[in-house]
Amino acid sequence: MKPEEIRSQFPALAQTVYGKPLVYLDNAATAQRPVSVLDKERALASTANANIHRAVHKLAVDATEEYERTRDIVKDFLNAGSREEIIFTSGTTMSINLVASCFGEAFVHEGDEIIVSVAEHHSNIVSWQLLCQRKKAALKVLDIDEFGGLQVDSLEKLISQRTKIIAISHISNVLGLVNPVREIVRIAHGHDIPVLVDGAQGSIHEEVDVQEMDCDFYAFSGHKVYGATGTGVLYGKKKWLDAMPPYMGGGEMIETVRFSGTTFAPLPGKFEAGTQNFNAVPTLQEALRLARQFQQDPEVAQNEWAITHYLTEALAADSRIRVYGVPRGTQVKIPLFSFSVEGVHHEDLALILDKMGIAVRSGQMCAEPLMDRCGVTGMLRVSFAPYNTMEEAEYFVKCLNKAISMLI
Amino acid sequence: MTLEEKKQAVIEEFSMYDEWLDKYEYLIELGKALEAYPEEEKTEDKLIKGCQSRVWLDYELKDGKLYFRADSDAIITKGIISLLISVYSGRTPAEIAADDFGFVNEIGLRENLSPTRANGLVSMIETIKQAAKEMADQAARNEKAVPEKQADVLTAEDVAALQPLYSDVILALKQVYDPEIPVNIYDLGLIYELNIDKERKVSIVMTFTAPNCPMADEVMHEVEESVKRVPGVTGCHIELTFEPVWDRSMLSEEARVDLGLDYEEDDYGKLS
Repeated sequence: MKPEEIRSQFPALAQTVYGKPLVYLDNAATAQRPVSVLDKERALASTANANIHRAVHKLAVDATEEYERTRDIVKDFLNAGSREEIIFTSGTTMSINLVASCFGEAFVHEGDEIIVSVAEHHSNIVSWQLLCQRKKAALKVLDIDEFGGLQVDSLEKLISQRTKIIAISHISNVLGLVNPVREIVRIAHGHDIPVLVDGAQGSIHEEVDVQEMDCDFYAFSGHKVYGATGTGVLYGKKKWLDAMPPYMGGGEMIETVRFSGTTFAPLPGKFEAGTQNFNAVPTLQEALRLARQFQQDPEVAQNEWAITHYLTEALAADSRIRVYGVPRGTQVKIPLFSFSVEGVHHEDLALILDKMGIAVRSGQMCAEPLMDRCGVTGMLRVSFAPYNTMEEAEYFVKCLNKAISMLI
Repeated sequence: MTLEEKKQAVIEEFSMYDEWLDKYEYLIELGKALEAYPEEEKTEDKLIKGCQSRVWLDYELKDGKLYFRADSDAIITKGIISLLISVYSGRTPAEIAADDFGFVNEIGLRENLSPTRANGLVSMIETIKQAAKEMADQAARNEKAVPEKQADVLTAEDVAALQPLYSDVILALKQVYDPEIPVNIYDLGLIYELNIDKERKVSIVMTFTAPNCPMADEVMHEVEESVKRVPGVTGCHIELTFEPVWDRSMLSEEARVDLGLDYEEDDYGKLS
C-alpha cells in the first residue's frame, strides 16, 4: 500500500494545526489510530460493554469472547507457544514492572545482579532500580559504542554467577537501531540467564517471533502499534510465569479466597487482577492485523527505506547536525532519527517546527542515562510511520533548515 | 514608564505579529540581545528547575529596587526571560510582589508554549515573585516596629480555632491525585508547608515528583480549586519549590502501602 492510501484510514492525519497540514513525526511516542480501531472501541462500548470473565449474560459473554479472541491474535502476532503466555497489561511499562516485581520477588536476592543497557528507556531502568533497592541487588550496565551500537562483545564480561536477568530493548527509542537480541539471548542462555526484551519499538517494525528469538519475556504497548491507549502485552515463557507470584491481588486472579489463605487462578488470569480494559484490548485485533500487514508489505518497506535513506543523507549533509545511532555493517536502522544541532537548543527547534505544523519530540526522551552518555541535555527526534510520505520528510528537512537559520 | 504602562507596551508589541513564527522571531531577537550573564555564575543555586531548557536567574536590590539578570541555553526561553526582565527589573519588590503577571497570559505566551516550557515559564515567574516577596517582607520587617508585627502572630486560641480548618484543608488536598502515581499529593509528600492565617487564607508550599512534570499547571490549579472549596477558607496561595527535591522518603506510610513499596514485608506465604 502507498502511504497516501494508508493515510486515508487515519483520521487524525487529515487535520491542520496552526493553519498548516499536520506532519506527525512523533510516532515512536504514540502512533495515530486507524478508523477500524476507533470503530472497534466504539462498537464494543456501545454494544458489548460488560465486565468480562464473570457474569453469564449475553453482553458479558460477547465481551469476554472479544477479549479472549484478542489473546489468540496476540499469540499469533508474537508466535508464542500458547495463549497462557500472553498477559494483558496497561502497556510496556506495566509489563516490565510486572516482571521486575514478580520475577524479582521469586528469583532476585541480596547481592544478585541485573543487567540493562545504557540505551534503555526509563521504564526498563527504573523498574529494575526499584527492585535492586528492595532486594539490595546491583544493576550493571551494558555500554554502547561510538556509533550507538550495543557492545555485545563485552556482555560476557558483565555476566557473573550472580546475574539473574538481562533486560534489553529490541530497538532503542532514541537510537533506532535493531539490537542483536538473538545473540544476546544466546549468550545469556549459555549461562542460564533469562532475557526480557522491551519491544515497545521493536513490535512496530519487526515481525517478532518469540519462539525463534527464544527470549523469556517480551513486552510491548498497544498504542504504539495503532491500538487503543492503556493496552499492552507481556509475553512470558510459561515456566517463568508459573514460578512467579501474582502482581496484584483482586478479582479474577484467584481460584478460592478464604481468610485462611487464597489460591490463585492459573495463567494468564493470575496476572490479570481486577477489571480489565475490555473495551480497549480488542482494538488490538484490528491494530495488530494492520501492523503485520504493514510489516509484510513491500511497498511500505520501500517507502520506509526511501525515507530512511533520504534523511540519513540530508542530516549527514549538514555538518552542524549530529545523528545518534548510526547503523554499522548489516545492522538495521528504522526510520527514527535522534539528533542535535550545534549551537541550537533542541527545544527551540521543536517549538518552531510545531508552529510549522510538524510534531517532533524534544528532550531526554525518557532516556536520561543515554543523554549523559552522549554528552547532551536532550535531542530532537523524528520517527516515521507507514503513513508518512516522502513529501513530509522533505518538508521536515526544509523546515528544519529554516528553523536552524532563525536560531543561529 | 510605570509597570502598567510597560506591560501595555509589551502587549501592543506582541499584537503586531499575527503569526506565531513571527512572535518567536521577535523573542529570538530579544534573547540574542539579552545582556551577557557570566559563565562562572551559572551555579546550581541560580538554576530554575522545571524547564526542558536550563534557566539561571539572579537578582540584587539596589536603592530599593530589584534588578534581575538571567540566561538560558535555549534562545526562545531566553527571549521570554528578557521580556520578563524588561517588565520587572528596576521595580520595587512590593510592586512586583503585588503583580499578578496576568499580561503573560494576555500575550498568549503560556498557552502557546509546550506544557514543559509553560512550566518553565511558571517556575521563572515564581522565582521572580518569590524574590520580590522575600525582599518586600524584609523591608516591611525593617520598617515596622515589633509590637505592630505581633498583630499577625497567632495566639494559642487562634491556633485551636483553626485546627478543624487544617483538617478540612488536608482532606481537600487528599482529593488531588498525582497524574502519574495513583496516590494523592498529600500522602505523596508533595506538600512541604501548609499555613492558615487569621483571615483564614491558606498558603501552601508544594513541589512535584519531577521538575518537568507536564501536568504541574493543572495539578496546582486543582489544588487551589480544591482548597478554595473548603467552607471557611477565604483564599489560597500556592508556591512551587524544588528545594528540597522530592524523593521517595517523603511518602507517607499510607502511600508506601498503596504503592506496594514495603513489599518485602508483605508475605505471600500468608496468602497462599
